[in-house]
This record gives sequence, C-alpha cells and structure tokens, in this order.
Amino acid sequence: MLRPFEIHEPTSIAEASRLLADHGEDAAVYAGGTELILVMKEGLAHFRHLVDIKTIPGLETIAYDGAVLRLGALATHRAIERSAVVGRHAPLLASVASQVANPRVRNVGTLGGNLCFAEPHSDLGTLCVAWDAVIVLARDGEERSVPADRFFTGVLETVREPDEVLVRVELRPFGPGTGGAYQRFAMHERPTAGVAAVVATRGGVIQHGRIAIGSVGPMPVRASEAEAMLAGAPLRDEALREAAKAVGRHAEVMDDLYGSAAYKRHVLTVLAARALREAVACAREEDA
Amino acid sequence: MSGVVGTAMRRVDAAEKATGAARFTGDLALPGLLCGKVLRSPFPHARLVRVDTSAAERMPGVRAVLTGGDLADLDPYYGHAIKDRPIVALERVRFIGEPVAAVAADDEAAAEEALRAITVEYEELPAVTVLGEALAAGAPRVHEGPLRPGLFHGLGDLRREEGNICYHYHFARGDLESAFAASDVVVEGEYTFPAVYQYAMEPHTVIAQWGESEITVWASCQHPYLVRAELADLFRVPLSAVRVIVPYVGGGFGSKSYTKMEPLTVALARKARRPVRIANSIEEAMVTTRRHNMRCWMRTGATRDGAVVARQCRIWLDTGAYADNGPRVAATAGDAAPGAYRWRAVGVDAWAVYTHTPPAGSYRAFGAAHMAWIGESQIDALARRVGLDPLEFRRRNLLRPGEEVRPGGKPLDADLVGDVTKVAAAVGWGTPKPPFVGRGVGVGLLAAGAQPVSTAVLRLQADGTVVLLVSTTELGQGARTAFTQIVADELGVPPSRVRVAGADTQVTPFDRSTGASRSTTLAGTAVQRASADLRGQLLEIAKRVWGLPLSALTVRDGAVWHETDALPFPELLARHFGMVGGELIGRGEVRPERGSGSYAEGPVFWEVCVGGAEVHVSPETGQIRVRRLASVADVGKAINPQLVEAQDEGASLQGLGNTLFEEMIFENGQLMNGSLLDYHVPTTADLPDAFHTIIVENGDGPGPYGAKGVGEGALAAVPAAIVNALADLGLEIRDLPVTPERVLRCLGVLGAPAGTGGAAP
Ligand SMILES: Cc1cc2nc3c(=O)[nH]c(=O)nc-3n(C[C@H](O)[C@H](O)[C@H](O)COP(=O)(O)OP(=O)(O)OC[C@H]3O[C@@H](n4cnc5c(N)ncnc54)[C@H](O)[C@@H]3O)c2cc1C
Repeated sequence: MLRPFEIHEPTSIAEASRLLADHGEDAAVYAGGTELILVMKEGLAHFRHLVDIKTIPGLETIAYDGAVLRLGALATHRAIERSAVVGRHAPLLASVASQVANPRVRNVGTLGGNLCFAEPHSDLGTLCVAWDAVIVLARDGEERSVPADRFFTGVLETVREPDEVLVRVELRPFGPGTGGAYQRFAMHERPTAGVAAVVATRGGVIQHGRIAIGSVGPMPVRASEAEAMLAGAPLRDEALREAAKAVGRHAEVMDDLYGSAAYKRHVLTVLAARALREAVACAREEDA
Repeated sequence: MSGVVGTAMRRVDAAEKATGAARFTGDLALPGLLCGKVLRSPFPHARLVRVDTSAAERMPGVRAVLTGGDLADLDPYYGHAIKDRPIVALERVRFIGEPVAAVAADDEAAAEEALRAITVEYEELPAVTVLGEALAAGAPRVHEGPLRPGLFHGLGDLRREEGNICYHYHFARGDLESAFAASDVVVEGEYTFPAVYQYAMEPHTVIAQWGESEITVWASCQHPYLVRAELADLFRVPLSAVRVIVPYVGGGFGSKSYTKMEPLTVALARKARRPVRIANSIEEAMVTTRRHNMRCWMRTGATRDGAVVARQCRIWLDTGAYADNGPRVAATAGDAAPGAYRWRAVGVDAWAVYTHTPPAGSYRAFGAAHMAWIGESQIDALARRVGLDPLEFRRRNLLRPGEEVRPGGKPLDADLVGDVTKVAAAVGWGTPKPPFVGRGVGVGLLAAGAQPVSTAVLRLQADGTVVLLVSTTELGQGARTAFTQIVADELGVPPSRVRVAGADTQVTPFDRSTGASRSTTLAGTAVQRASADLRGQLLEIAKRVWGLPLSALTVRDGAVWHETDALPFPELLARHFGMVGGELIGRGEVRPERGSGSYAEGPVFWEVCVGGAEVHVSPETGQIRVRRLASVADVGKAINPQLVEAQDEGASLQGLGNTLFEEMIFENGQLMNGSLLDYHVPTTADLPDAFHTIIVENGDGPGPYGAKGVGEGALAAVPAAIVNALADLGLEIRDLPVTPERVLRCLGVLGAPAGTGGAAP
C-alpha cells in the first residue's frame, strides 16, 4: 500500500531542483510514475515528497534542428513511437520505443524516467549508449551534458545528483553510410538481453562500429573488444560473426531470474550477429 | 423446451460485468467496516519467542490486534483434509508469509502503520525448503505429532506417515516385475514440475462480522458450505450460526477452494467486535496457495509389436507447510499417472510432502496437469522405439468406453480414440513439416466431480418469474448462464424470466463445491430436477383447473396449454392459492446413486484431457513458438458452446504458461519472483498463432442432456501435447517449464543440462 506523501507541482526546473535540494533523501522526481509508484507501493522505498515535473512546461517536446534530435525527458514511449520527427530522423528509436514493456507502461512511462531509474533490464539505455546519445541534466540555472556511456554507474545508479533533473536526450541521426539496429530477447515483462549496434561503413569497409549490450549486467556497456575487431574490417558476414562472438565472450553477465550467465552469453552472441547484420544492411541503404 | 440449451446465449452477467456494476466482496460496504492487515513471517521456520503488540494497540485508529494468544479458548486448527493449520501462527512459523498477527483499524494506512509497530522476536530453526531436504533421513519435522483428519478429507484411513510425509496414495494391479520382464522396450525417467501460481484477477477477499447470534462472512470463496462447516467447527457454534455469502468471484482456478483467509478474518472480527475486511494483495495471494511442485520417477514398458504392458510411477508432491488439498492432489495425480491405457500391470505411489514453503492446494486440473505430460512423453518414446506413429500407437492402446480405468472406480465414459484423432487432424498430423517444426498429441484423464451432492430450489413468483437458489458460485465460468438455460428450457420460459441468486448458506441450499468441473453436471442436474418438480406441480394445478388428464397438457411459453387454450403461470398460481402472491417451490437433489459416492468409487465422470500442438523451435535462442494448439472439449452436450470454448481456451492458455514459462522460484523458502512484474502470467501476447477448440457431443455424460464437465482437461492436455511436439524434434523434456535456456541445453548448445531432471529422492 502507498504510504502518504505530498505532491509538489513546480513550474520550472529551478523550482523543481530547489524542492529536491530542500527535501534531500525524502524527495523524488515524479514523471510517469510507472517505476516510482511501484517501488513505493511495494514498500521498497518511501518518499514523503514527490516533485511532479509534469507541471513544468515544454519538458515533453521532441524537436530536430537540422543536426540534433532533442527528446524532452517527459516524452513517453508512445509519443516517441508516434512522433513524425522521430520517424523521419531516428526510426530506430521509434521502433525500440514501440517494443518497450506493455501498452500501459508505454502510454505513461517516459524516456527520462527509464534512464534515471537505471533498472538494468532496459532497452533505451542500451540504445543510447551505442548511439552516443548525450544526456542533459539541469539544476537551478545550470545544465551539464553527459555522454550516455558515462551516465550509468550501477544497478539503479547514475551520475545524476539528487537535485538534478534530466531535461532532455540529444541524438544525432545517422549520416550516409551509417546504420543502426537493436535486437532484444524477452521472456518476461522486461528484456532478458539487448544488443544495439551502430555501424559506419565506407567503400566496403567498416570504419567503426559501436556496440552496446544491456540487461545482462548492472548497466548497459560498450562491447569494446568487438568494436575493436570491427574497426577497419571488411564488410563481410564473417567479420560480423566474429565480432558477435566476441560480444558474448567478453560480456560481463549476471546470473539472475532471467537466466544463467551461460545462456545470456549465448543469446548476446545471437543478438549481436543479428544486430550487426541489420545495422550493416541499413548502412548500405543509407549509402545508396 | 424454448430451445436455449445448446445455443451460445449471451452470459446473464455480461452487462453487469462489462459496466462494472457487478459487486465483488471488495466492493461491499458495511457500517463500521474495519480494514484488516496481516503481519507475515520473514522466516521459513522459527520459534515465536515474543510478539509484542502493545505499541500497535495504542496507535490511533487501531481497533484490534490479533495474535495466537487470543485463541486460547479455541482448538484453533483447521484444514479440510488434515487439521494442521492454526488460524494464526502459535508457537512457530512454518513458511515465509505465514500470518503471525493481524490488525483491524479504521483505514488501511492506520492498519499498515500498526503492522510496522509490532515487534516479533524469532528464534530461527533449521528448515526444509525443498523436497530432497524434507525427505532426507533425520530431516527437521515440519509437523510433530499425529495427523488429525479434517472434516472433508475423503481419504479413507489417515495414517501418520514417516518424517515429513503428509499423505501416501498407492494402488497396484497385476504383477509389475513379470510385466516389465515381458516388455521388449522400457523407457524410464525422472521428471520435475514447478510450483505455479493460480493467478485470479481478484485476490482472496473476506469480510467477517461477529454478531450476537451469527457469524456472517462475505467471501470470495468457491465452496461456501465447506467454509461454513470449518468456521462452525473452529469457533464452536452450530452450522446454522455461520452464514457465508459469496458475491461474484473474480476467478478461482482452485485458489479459492476450501478455506483460506476466512478463519483469520473471523478471528479478527471476533476480537474487534466490528466487521473487518481482509483483502490479500497479489503478493499475499501468492503465498496463500499455489500449485504443488513435484518430482516424479516413471517407467513404462511395451511389446515389440506395439502393445503397452506395464507402468510404474513414484510421485513426490511438495505440499508446503500445511496439507491444504495436498492429499487429494496426490491421490488425483496417482489416478492420472497410468493414463488411459490397457495395462497388464500398473503400480503407483504418490506422496504429499511437507516443506517449509507456502502451502500448495488446488489448481485447475491438479494431478492430471502434473502427470499427463510425463506419461504421454513415455508413450511417444515407446512408439518411436517400436517404430510406430504416436497416433497409431495410441489408437491401438487407448481404453475404449466401458473399460476399467482404475480398480474399483468408474469405467471409461468417453471416446478417446475419436478425440485424439480430431486434435491430430487439427494440428496437421501427417502433412509435411517446415524445418524446426514438431507436432505432438497428448491424452489423459482427470478424476472429476468430487462428491456427487448438490441441491437446488426454484421459486415461481406471482408474476411468472423463476428464482433459482443454488449454491454454485459464479467464478466467471458462467454457471449462472448455463443454469438459466436449463431452467428456461425445462419450464418453457424465456431466459429473461429466470434469475439466479448468489450463493448464501442461509438462503441457497447445499452444494458440495464449485470445482472439479462439477457444476453443470451435478448442480445442473439438481437444477434440472427442481425444474421438473416445478413443472409437475404446474401441470397438476392445470389438470385440476381444467379437469383434463396430464397427457392432454403441455408446458411452453410461460403457460400450461391444452390445444389452443393457455393458463399462464401467474394465473395458475392465483387459482392455486386463491389470491395473487403465492409461490410454488420446486426442489431437486443429486446424491450418490450407487454406493457411498466416495472418491474411491468415483469419479463422477472422467474428464477428458486431449490436445494437440504444433511448435516451432528457434535453434538460435531456444524460443518456442506455438503455431497451432488444439484441444477437445468432450462435453457430452454443450449447454452453451461459447462458454465451453471460453473454458477450454482459458485452460489451454494456462496450460501453455505452465509448460513454457510459469514457475515460482524459491530460494531457502523465500519466493524470489513474488509479484506480477517478475512472475509471468500468460496474457493475450502469449496466445498461439492458431487455437482450436473442438467440441465433442456424444451425450455420454451423467449431467443434464448427457452433459459432463469441461474446463480443466485442456490444462493437462496442452503440456503433454507441447512436450511431445518437442520430442518430435528430438528434444527430450524432463523438466517444466521448458524455457528457451532448457531448450538450448537439450539441444546441447549450452552443454549438458545442469541442475535439471532432479534425481528422485
Ligand atoms: C511492467 C514494466 C515493464 C517494463 N518493460 C520495459 C522494457 O521492456 N524495456 C525498457 O526499456 N523498459 C521497461 N520498463 C521500464 C519503463 O520504460 C519505465 O518504467 C518508464 O519509462 C519509466 O518512466 P516514468 O516516467 O514512469 O518514470 P517514474 O516512475 O516517474 O520515475 C522513475 C525514476 O526516475 C526518476 N526520474 C524520472 N524522471 C526523471 C527526470 N526527468 N529527472 C530526474 N529523475 C527522474 C524518478 O525519481 C524515479 O526514481 C518497464 C517497466 C515496467 C513497470
């Protein structure tokens, strides 16, 4: 059962940040509430002050300025999936958003909430890490940008300070010759494993590939051994297969209710191969 | 007959449920109703050193705090099979989640705060949380002392067994050793089945009121009369001083069979002297009852030319800390183990075993769901060994109607060969298969009906409306609709003229239980008989009025007719009573027709569990996709074909969950996936690509119009069919659920199966 709490409705980031600072450990940002209310209901956490950021104008905006796609923290999975702007400039993101959770969570759960909660079994974190997304945090009067692969620090942990609000995520659409893909495997509500790949190619050679794996360890991470194998490799299936094997081999993987480490390693290899092939195919299309 | 029997008439509760007007126990309001909350044990086994409730009692809004100390004037043990369970923990706790204290307060927040203010000092004791530990020599005992039989054990002689054995069921026929010696091929294996949660949308909810002369209970229970008897016994009052009322129930599937949260709620209301409601959360429901996890060893023999010879089986069912329905589950699993084959010799032992885990009880198709897939996978293995098509092998060996199933029990009453042939065709048997696609069928029998005792009363009102009083509970299965159809046809009135009252032990007459696929068959017969009784009375009145012989009269359209003259029911009533306002009462009963009606002489009928599956396996991820699923609803007569289909589809989907992914995972007695976030209940997203329910109406059931029960069989058939479809692809499945990881292990992709196929203890 939910214990009593007070809801604050700030109208600016500065006000939200001050409320968070004032109430310290007793306060939490309240976005869609799909994670927050659950943990409070189950008695795993109790906050006496919820700072509802839905009353801050503009935080749900999705916009593209010709170079950067900016997704407001309050953009829901559904909004991302349906956004024409995302559909045009980052269709991969729309497709991943459409696979998250279930319709109820997609309708109210937000991008910012997904990233800030840092639940290890997440799709969007993995995708952001491979995409080199930039996460923008703000407090009273200042903003700072954190690359996605430095945002997560552990299970349910990020670099966000308690009085900071995630305000937006910034992505650069893939250029010519670059393609991306995401592959997930899910048996339960949340994914068991996910692999995101972004591959840049030129003239039959892979210039570089960024691969992120998620849901298998405490946080999404880059598969650096596999990335090193891809750099400069010929655009041949064998190269992709070998890199995929390296993804599974080197991954740091936890045993949990979703499966054993051995199984997850195997699935990562399968997913990595699929994601790399798809990313390469998509790069070729972009090139054409 | 007005002709609604056999049609897909719309559910009588459809509008009420769709609009939210239907009332469930959680919707009821009573003056002064308090909110009850339960403090539960964090240890699997511990001595209660001290329970200090003084701080909680002083908190604002708190009206009563109940502990074991409040029960000193009672013999506080209950259990319909074995009286082994205290209303609230007394000297020790036996599982994580066992109630240790309960609070009644003005609102939920106050009750929760009070729970936090109770301090309990535990002294941890060694626990046995898995079957192997419980069965080990010298294992700590979950229960000491003799077993006391419950009010409805129906188990014959109850003996105290060794160690942690709660109950042992055994039967044998023929000489096993010589029969196996005479078998040319023998398959043998060890198997496991997981603990499973029966997820009902509405968790257990009870309101209790302790009055001067009556204990009144509103409960989401399946068997109000059995709950009444247990409450009367516990609280030392006459049966008639306990009134159990059952509003609509939001799904049961066995989880609300027998007595669950009712004694604790009554004890709390007794202390508070105010009405109290305890409503379990899903997390609490999960530790209130579950399906038995199981280990099993089985061997089966056949001749080279494809005749089955012998089967032997040992079954260990983990019943948790209290027996609940474990003994019956063990007996039913034992009955299901041989399957529907003609054996020269068969021997079955089934044990219900106590462990320090949450109690396990009934869940749709219990026993048969545990066993059918095991027996049927051995049948397939034998068929392959002797070079026969599994369908052909079954045609040769399946029992025919009239043949003995179990010594001393009811002979087979269904055409299984016809049934399995139909499902095989529905999944494309014999047609070419794409790569990684396998097909399988499964056949089983489930002892259904429980004890054949049901009664019904029909009241014909002055305006010609009929009110049916019957204590079958409406769980979503559609009992009220089926009964309405029977009454409408028997009395020749439109269904809109029939009302079915909710179960209320002070008003609606005795029905043994709502479960075991029995309601349409047994309570339905009582309803049909009550209708016939009422019709007879109406004819008698018309005969007197008109001075005509009965043979000249017919009943239809709410009237008695002679040629073109009609006497509508209201007029008949007015003539009979000499005033407007009297009513006629029809009564119907069902009781054992031969013998005592005991389980040993039963079952009332054999419920058919026949299914077919076509699956695709991804060799890369191990993921199984069910392409086609077919089940037979061998109902004798489908009173409402749409409800029959809905029953079968629900059972199939649960069967799919039980086979592919459902599992309650315990570590040292702690449930690790104790919420719906972590425990995957099947949803529409898990539906197979195609789903066939084949309704078979051979008129061979003991119920109205030759009907017999359905709704459970598919849950036993689907695991068997899927496991055999996997066997068709060369996967030898020994452990459910068949997760993708297990598939890959079976394929040898991840190395040998580790920690599976649990060695028999
Ligand atoms: C049943 C279920 C299934 C799911 N399945 C998936 C899945 O398949 N894949 C996947 O990727 N995810 C999955 N999720 C996670 C889902 O994406 C998140 O629940 C959702 O996006 C969280 O957003 P929210 O707005 O509801 O966050 P909230 O619950 O409001 O907040 C979550 C946390 O983040 C903090 N927070 C929220 N917004 C901000 C902000 N702007 N700045 C600072 N802190 C903030 C809150 O204080 C809280 O600690 C699932 C969740 C559930 C409940």
